[in-house]
Amino acid sequence: MTTRFSLPIQVVEAGGFTAWLVEDHSVPVVSLSWSWQGGAAFDPAGQEGTAAMAAAMLSEGAGEMRALPFADALRDSAIGLSFSAGRDSFDGSFRALTDALPEAVRLARLAMTAPRLDADALERVRARAIANARTTLETPRGQAGRAFWAAAFPAHPAGRPASGTAESLGPISAAMLRDALARQLRRDGLVIAASGAIRPAELGALMRDLFGALPAGAPAAPPTLPAFTAFGRQVVPVPGPQSQVILGQPGLAPTDPAWEAAQVVLRVLGGGGFSSRLMEAVRVQRGLTYGIGAGLDSLFRGGVVTCAFATENGRVAEALAVTKDVWAEMAARGPTQAELEEAVAYLTGSLPLQFTDSRRIAGTLMAMRRNDRPLDWLDGRDARLRAITRDDAARVAATLLAPDALAVTVAGQPQGM
Amino acid sequence: MTRVTRRHTICAAAAALAATPVARAAAQAAPPAMPDRPLFGAKQWQLANGLKVVHAESRRAPVVAQYVYYAAGGAEDPAGRSGVAHFLEHMMFKGSPNVPSGDLSRRVAREGGNDNAFTSRDVTAYFQQVEASRLPLIMAMEADRFAAALIPADQVESERNVVLEERRQRTDSTPRGRFQEAFRAALWGPQTWPGRPIIGWEEEIRATTREDLLAFYERFYAPSNATLLIAGAVSESEARALSEEHYGRVPARPAARRDRAPAPTAVHEARLVRREPQAREALMMRAFMAPSLTTDGAAHALPLEVLAHLLGGGQGSRLHAALVETGLAVSAGASYDGEAAGVTEFTLWAVPRRGVAPERLEEEAGAVVARLLDQGPSEAEVARATRQLSAGALLALDGFGAAPRMLGGVLSIGLPADVVEFWPSRLRAVTRPQVEAAARAVLGTAPHSTGWLLPEAA
Repeated sequence: MTTRFSLPIQVVEAGGFTAWLVEDHSVPVVSLSWSWQGGAAFDPAGQEGTAAMAAAMLSEGAGEMRALPFADALRDSAIGLSFSAGRDSFDGSFRALTDALPEAVRLARLAMTAPRLDADALERVRARAIANARTTLETPRGQAGRAFWAAAFPAHPAGRPASGTAESLGPISAAMLRDALARQLRRDGLVIAASGAIRPAELGALMRDLFGALPAGAPAAPPTLPAFTAFGRQVVPVPGPQSQVILGQPGLAPTDPAWEAAQVVLRVLGGGGFSSRLMEAVRVQRGLTYGIGAGLDSLFRGGVVTCAFATENGRVAEALAVTKDVWAEMAARGPTQAELEEAVAYLTGSLPLQFTDSRRIAGTLMAMRRNDRPLDWLDGRDARLRAITRDDAARVAATLLAPDALAVTVAGQPQGM
Repeated sequence: MTRVTRRHTICAAAAALAATPVARAAAQAAPPAMPDRPLFGAKQWQLANGLKVVHAESRRAPVVAQYVYYAAGGAEDPAGRSGVAHFLEHMMFKGSPNVPSGDLSRRVAREGGNDNAFTSRDVTAYFQQVEASRLPLIMAMEADRFAAALIPADQVESERNVVLEERRQRTDSTPRGRFQEAFRAALWGPQTWPGRPIIGWEEEIRATTREDLLAFYERFYAPSNATLLIAGAVSESEARALSEEHYGRVPARPAARRDRAPAPTAVHEARLVRREPQAREALMMRAFMAPSLTTDGAAHALPLEVLAHLLGGGQGSRLHAALVETGLAVSAGASYDGEAAGVTEFTLWAVPRRGVAPERLEEEAGAVVARLLDQGPSEAEVARATRQLSAGALLALDGFGAAPRMLGGVLSIGLPADVVEFWPSRLRAVTRPQVEAAARAVLGTAPHSTGWLLPEAA
C-alpha cells in the first residue's frame, strides 16, 4: 500500500438536523440524501406497495404545480429528485448543479410538504406499478426473489414485496397514501448526508429550509428482523431453458463485532468481481453460470447471507452441489492466508473508488449512518481489517456459514429435483 | 455487454407520466450560461504504432481509469459466426505472456480496483479503475493482452458454456429479451450485421471455433484500430510517458477497418407478432431505419435526438400525452442514438394498459406521428427539448467514467472528439426546421417494422 486515503467528513448541525458532509468544490454539483426508517415496513398487510406508491407520487405535482409543470421544472434545470420506499426505509435524494440548488430545495420541500396526489396522476402511477409488478414475475429471477423472501420471513414485512403486487396495488387510495406520508415524513428521525460544492453554513441553512416545515415526532420503529426460516428447498415452476437459484441462511447484524471479519470471509467466498471461490468453481472451472455472487444483505437491523446464480435446467443439481461444497469447505477451514490478504487488500484499497462522484459519496455516508457507524469509522477501518488473522476469519466462517441449513429456491424447470 | 451513451444517461427520463395535454410555455428563463468550451478538455495524441491515446485529467479523487476501445463490435462478426466479438471479449481474460489466465482481474482486485469489459454493435472495450499509483500495473497488463492474447484452446469450451448461460440469462429466459432480439432481426434480417444479436445466435455460438476468435483478434485488435483512454488523477506528461512505455511496444499491424456488407435498405419483415405464454404485459415497438452521425444524412442526427425527446422523452412528450395521459398506455416513449457506425434505428414503443386493444393503441401512436409530420413540431417544443437534453451536461464531470466512455465511443466510430466536447452547444443550436426535416426524412419515408409482444391470454 503506497497511499493512504482519508476523507474529511464534517458534521453539520442546524435547526435540530444533523448531516454528514464531504465538501468538494472541484465540480459545481451537490448531492443530498436523506432517509427515515420505515418505508414498506409500515405497509398494512394486504396493502403492499403503499409506501412505494406514496414515494412515487411525491414527484407527481405539489403546491400549485400539477404533475407536468413539476416535472418540467425539474428537467429544465437537470435536477435529479427522487423518492423511494425500501424494505425498511423511506428515502429522498437530489443531485443538482449549484446554479439550480435553490430550485432543487424549493421543489423537494414542496414535494414533501404539499404533494397534490391528483387522481389522474395516481391512476397513472398505479397502472405503471401494477405493470411493473406483473413484469417482474415474467422471469425466473423475479419469481425466485419473490418466493425466497416470502418463505424466509413468512410473517414479517421482510417477506413481502416492497413494491407491491397487482392485487395489493389496485385498492390503494389517496387517503391511504396521505396516511402513509403522514407517518413517514417527519422532522425527527431524519438521517442526512451531503456531498459536493456546498459549505457547511449553506448546508445548515438548506436543511432548515428543506425539512423545517415537516411535522415533529419521529416515525415509528420498524419491527426487528425475526429468525430466518430455514425452509429447506422450494421449486417454483417457470417455463424456459434456465433456472434461477437463490440460497440463503441467517446472517449477522451490522452492529455485530464480527461484521468486518464476515465481510472478508464473504468476499473470499463470493464477493464481487471474478476472483471469489464460487466464481472460480462454478463459472471459471465448470462453465455452469454467467455469474455467481454471495454476500450479506442487511435489513431491519439484522442480516441474511444470500447467494444467487442462474444455470441451465439440466445442470441445476450439479451447480447446487458445487456451491454447497464450496460453502462447506469455507465453513470448515476458512480462507487461506493468501486469500485473506487479497480480500483485505481489496477492501482497504478500494476505498478511494467509493469517492469519485457526489451521489456515491452521499450514499456511502448514508450507509455508515444507517449502520450506526462512528464518524471515524473509515479512519480506523484499514487497521481493523489488517488486524484480522486467519484464525479470526476461520472462526467467523465456522460460526457464520451453515452449509447444511442453506435454504434453496429454484425458479425454472430444474431437472432431477 | 452494455451500451453507455451520453445523452441517455443525462436525460435519463423515467418511464414518466404527466398531466393534461395543455400546451406548455417554453422554458421561460434563459438556459444556464453554457460557454462554448470543451466539456472535458481532453488531450489526444498518437503513438508510432498507430494507437490513439486520449487523456482527460480529473483530480477530484486519487483514482484513475483506463479504457481500451477497439473499433470492432458485434457488427464485425463474420457471416454465420455472430457472437465472435463478444466471445473473444470473454477469452481476453484468459491470459497473455506475462499474465496468467484470470490474473488480470485478480490483481486489479488485490489493488482495490474494478475491471470489466463490454461489447456493443460497434465497439469492444476493456476497462479498469484503480487508485492512481496503480496505473502502471494496469497499463502493463492491458498492453500485454493487447500485444499477444493467448486465447487458450483448453479454456474455450468452459467459456462457451459461460457465454451460453449469459445468453440464456439475458435473452432466452425473458419474454421481453426474446422479443427484442426477434424484433431487431425482423427489421434488418436475422443474418445482417445490424440485425444479429451481439451475443450471437445460439447455434453460431456453439459453432464458433478458436480459429474464429483468433482471426477476429488478429484482424481487429491492431494499435491503429484502437483507442487508449486514461482519465483521472494523472498528469498529461505521466500519461504520455506511461502510454509510450507500455503500449509503444505493441507491434504495429496492418490496419484493419470495418468492412461490412451494405446495410439493408428494405425491412426483412414489416410486422412481427409474438404471443408468449410467459409475458404478462404487452409491448409495441416500431423501429425506423435511420441515419447516424457517420452516414449520409448525418445532419439529421442531432435533430433526431431532439425529436426523440419531444416525441417520446417521458412526461410532456407527445406520445406521453396521447397514450399515457389518456389511459391507453402504461408507458410510451421514443429512442434514438446518433453515435453509431453506419445506419441505426429510431424507435417508438408503448406498453398498453390491460383491456386496451392493440389496434387501438397502434392507431393512436400512428396518429401522433401523422400529426407531427403534418404540422411539424412547435418552436416551444424544440426549445424545451434542447434545454432539457443539455441542462445537465456538466453532470458528466461528476464522476470519472463519463469522459473515457463518451470519448471512446465517438473516436471508435471515426468521429472527432469535438462531437463529445461540444455536444451541449451543438445540441442547443438545433432549430425547429431541422427537427421537422429530420422527422420527415425518418418517420415520413424510412422503412420500418412494427412488432407486438402479446401475452398469450390477451
